[in-house]
Amino acid sequence: MDLLPFFQWMGTIPLSEYVLSHTWAAPIVQVIHLVAVAVFVGALAIVDMRLLGRGLTSRPLADIARDAQPWLIGGFIVLLITGLPSLTSTALKQYYSPFFWWKAEAMLFGIIFTFTVRRRAILTDETQLGPYWPKIVGLMSLGIWTSVAIGARLIGLMG
Amino acid sequence: MSFRFVFEWLSELSSSIALREAYNVYPWLLTSHVISTSWFAGLVIMMDLRLAGIGNLSTPLVQSQKRLFPWQMTTMVISFSTGGLLFYGDPMRFYPNFWFWLKMLLMLLAAVNAVTFHMTIYKEALEKLEAKLADARRSWVSWDFSGVVPYKARVAGFLSLVLWAAIIISGRMIAYSALVPQWWLDLGLD
Repeated sequence: MDLLPFFQWMGTIPLSEYVLSHTWAAPIVQVIHLVAVAVFVGALAIVDMRLLGRGLTSRPLADIARDAQPWLIGGFIVLLITGLPSLTSTALKQYYSPFFWWKAEAMLFGIIFTFTVRRRAILTDETQLGPYWPKIVGLMSLGIWTSVAIGARLIGLMG
Repeated sequence: MSFRFVFEWLSELSSSIALREAYNVYPWLLTSHVISTSWFAGLVIMMDLRLAGIGNLSTPLVQSQKRLFPWQMTTMVISFSTGGLLFYGDPMRFYPNFWFWLKMLLMLLAAVNAVTFHMTIYKEALEKLEAKLADARRSWVSWDFSGVVPYKARVAGFLSLVLWAAIIISGRMIAYSALVPQWWLDLGLD
């Protein structure tokens, strides 16, 4: 399926036109996006580190995860909202960047992984998880989301 | 101006020139900086949310301060080294940049806030905690566990959250060197 016409259309919607015709629109969207990245990464990292047996180890995994969840989900929603105008206003650049597709695929994988495997590991009684399973899940989660960030940053730097 | 002299001198060092001209070093350095800074700031934000009484409330305050600290320091070292190299590779790009100087100022304020908090409010609270431990052999005091944090400590946490958001914002804005107040352009630093 050729997505080129779809990306061409995205570049012409009013949202894209607004971002492109207002000098401050793109930078404002980007700075909010980046603050949301920090909140998302913080909420992700404290739970993944806990899975790896690091950081906030004095409390049960389920407590850490429950506390982190609103920041993880909230951060991700802000990332989606601010990511949308960034994507549509530079749609063709994104379409032709291999790093955009890298980011998109890694992100899709990350969302599925976070809501299935990782969620299950967090909700399961810690004593039932064994020594290796939480570490594998924590490492994979950090690895997948780091690769999303690498892809994202390289779109603007290496085309 | 003497600052300009230092920046110019740095930019003419052979290692600075080599860094500037190295193929593909800049994108990877910047990517490493963004990722390590997200980690560092993210862990600081998680700790500050607890301190400000906004989030992560099931973790005792002292635990969120102590156990995240080594990871904050590790990621800070990576963030500072990659940031330092980015600067060293092209000092004259940053010298006239409003957002660069704002970011440096905000980082200084964040450091002052963190050090002041640890030397005063937090230290006093820890001493009280230890006294209570010795007294009653209890593993917590009220502000450590119940989410009721003294007003001053909450202010320090809230201030740190605002400062770190502003540091991230000004860091990203470095790329927009023309979107700055007119008075800054009038200084003629370019």
